[in-house]
Amino acid sequence: MSIDSSSNTTAVSSFSTKLLAGAILGIGAGLVGLFQGLQSGDKAPFLGWLWGCSFWLSIAIGMLMLIMIFRVFNSKWSPIVRRQLEHGLSAFPWIGLCFLPLLLVAWFGKDQAGILWAWVDSTSPTIEVSSIITVGEDVLHQKKAGYLNLNFFTLRLVAYFIIFCGLSHWLRKASFSQDKDGDPNWTRLGSKVSAIGIPAAALSLTFGAFDMFMSLEYQWFSTMYGVWFFASGIRAALAVTILLCIYLVSTGTLKGLFKQAHQYDLACLSLAFTVFWAYISFSQYFLIYSANIPEETFWFTIREIDPNTGLRSGWFWVSMGLIFGHFFFPFLYLLFYRNKVDAPKLIFIVCWILAFHLLDLYWNIIPGREIAPGAFVGYEARSVLGSHLLWGLFTLIGVGCLCAWAVLKSFQSGIAEIIPIRDPRIRESINHHE
Amino acid sequence: MSDIMDIKYAASATFSSAKGLYDAAGKVKQEGYTNWECFSPIPVHGLDAQMGYARSKVPRFTLTGGITGFFTGMLIVWFMNEYDYPLIVGGKPYFSPIYPFPVFYELTILFAAFGTLFGMFFLNRLPRHNHPVFEHPDFGLTGDDKFMIVIEVDDPKFDDEETVEFLKRVGGESVQLIREPID
Repeated sequence: MSIDSSSNTTAVSSFSTKLLAGAILGIGAGLVGLFQGLQSGDKAPFLGWLWGCSFWLSIAIGMLMLIMIFRVFNSKWSPIVRRQLEHGLSAFPWIGLCFLPLLLVAWFGKDQAGILWAWVDSTSPTIEVSSIITVGEDVLHQKKAGYLNLNFFTLRLVAYFIIFCGLSHWLRKASFSQDKDGDPNWTRLGSKVSAIGIPAAALSLTFGAFDMFMSLEYQWFSTMYGVWFFASGIRAALAVTILLCIYLVSTGTLKGLFKQAHQYDLACLSLAFTVFWAYISFSQYFLIYSANIPEETFWFTIREIDPNTGLRSGWFWVSMGLIFGHFFFPFLYLLFYRNKVDAPKLIFIVCWILAFHLLDLYWNIIPGREIAPGAFVGYEARSVLGSHLLWGLFTLIGVGCLCAWAVLKSFQSGIAEIIPIRDPRIRESINHHE
Repeated sequence: MSDIMDIKYAASATFSSAKGLYDAAGKVKQEGYTNWECFSPIPVHGLDAQMGYARSKVPRFTLTGGITGFFTGMLIVWFMNEYDYPLIVGGKPYFSPIYPFPVFYELTILFAAFGTLFGMFFLNRLPRHNHPVFEHPDFGLTGDDKFMIVIEVDDPKFDDEETVEFLKRVGGESVQLIREPID
């Protein structure tokens, strides 16, 4: 806080204005897309919007989980890093707000209510084996309707964000208040909130992933899906944390505080979750591949071939890109010590991971079945490139600017010190050694 | 008892503080000694860097073990299911990198663990049942409140008098020659 000179403050506030402008432009463009999609019945802008928001949601959820994991383990090295994550949590309410347009369309979209989540509208067309029927006639929806109906869905979505925002509020309060009075009971409160918060947030993110992403193809189901979203979120959050801390060291804010040992530990966690992501993603594929049941396999089939011709589609290369680019390369790269402790080398791989995380979400959200009565199997698989990518990029940038603005505001508000100076573990954290 | 033979093993010096050991270790390294060791009752952070130790080479054994395991797993599945006794199980191909992947990766982990364990044994020249320093009375104190530096006779720079003088100069308290009995 002491390094703020007046010129620095003006530079920051002008950057903050730019971020807000970026947020308004990006989200505005995304909303134009949604409006246009609503007019023409085009699903693409909605998928793009969901993709753009999900990236930032996954990062925020990852940060929330990391803080709570640090808290329950009472880890001695983490407080310096934890404080930076706590600022990151300030983006949650804004991310929640960004999901609102999708919910509003589901409620008030009339004949287009089912444009993104087809099951919202019982008259939406769907596929059973290869014949076209409506959602209302589909036994696979009828059996799930007790869970997958708009009222309960809305209630759940609101509950998830109340849980995320509530936990964020309490974790921030416990940490920031301790800066002022130094009462160790704040640490106890933080541990208690985390002990309750881990299962609560784990359930929220699991069912959130089911509701928002898996229900895009409501006939498909995978119990691994929530764990996949958790693993992805942690990977992305670790990448952002590493970038943020290295940036703060370069500006002098965390210089001498965030040391090689902290960076090495974060990089090791990154390696661990790279393996975990691969384990989960592969298990999901492996079980469905082994069981070979059509109502499950179609989900992977449309990510590999064009179902009408049986030839490889563009998604095949995206899938291969994920296996080799999102697992094998970062895994082998992060095995080496020097790649973890040399800041430029680590920055390269965490940016790589973030880019592939974005592709992973794209691969999970975008592919789907467009009902096409003339087609051999009754539908066309959505292609890799399309207007969903363009609209998605607008939303991605817009929501990203909004989150960055909220986080910067939290950093600048003076609500907390740079590091939790009165945390009982702070001395150990500063003296952390490999 | 006079017919017991012994040979010189090393020169040793004790220190009363971790700082004393740490500073002396830096000087020993600077002096150019290569075959020497520090003994301490507690972990001293940064001592390995002070002694000029590079990072452990165990990870290389781990990586080699892991890669060997991965391809051993592949070889097992390929040999059994595609080459020696082709058998269709659950409609899956004879050989594919997908269905037997758990075998590959379990063997990767197993062999990586073997590599780590046996690599560590190899690099530390274990198992070894005795060591001349165990006979040395000062060695027992390094399990209590003393720190110790031992410079071995094998060191090219070792000299009976100079090394002892040097150890005294860098702050060694009890400086002695350790002798290894032979029977």
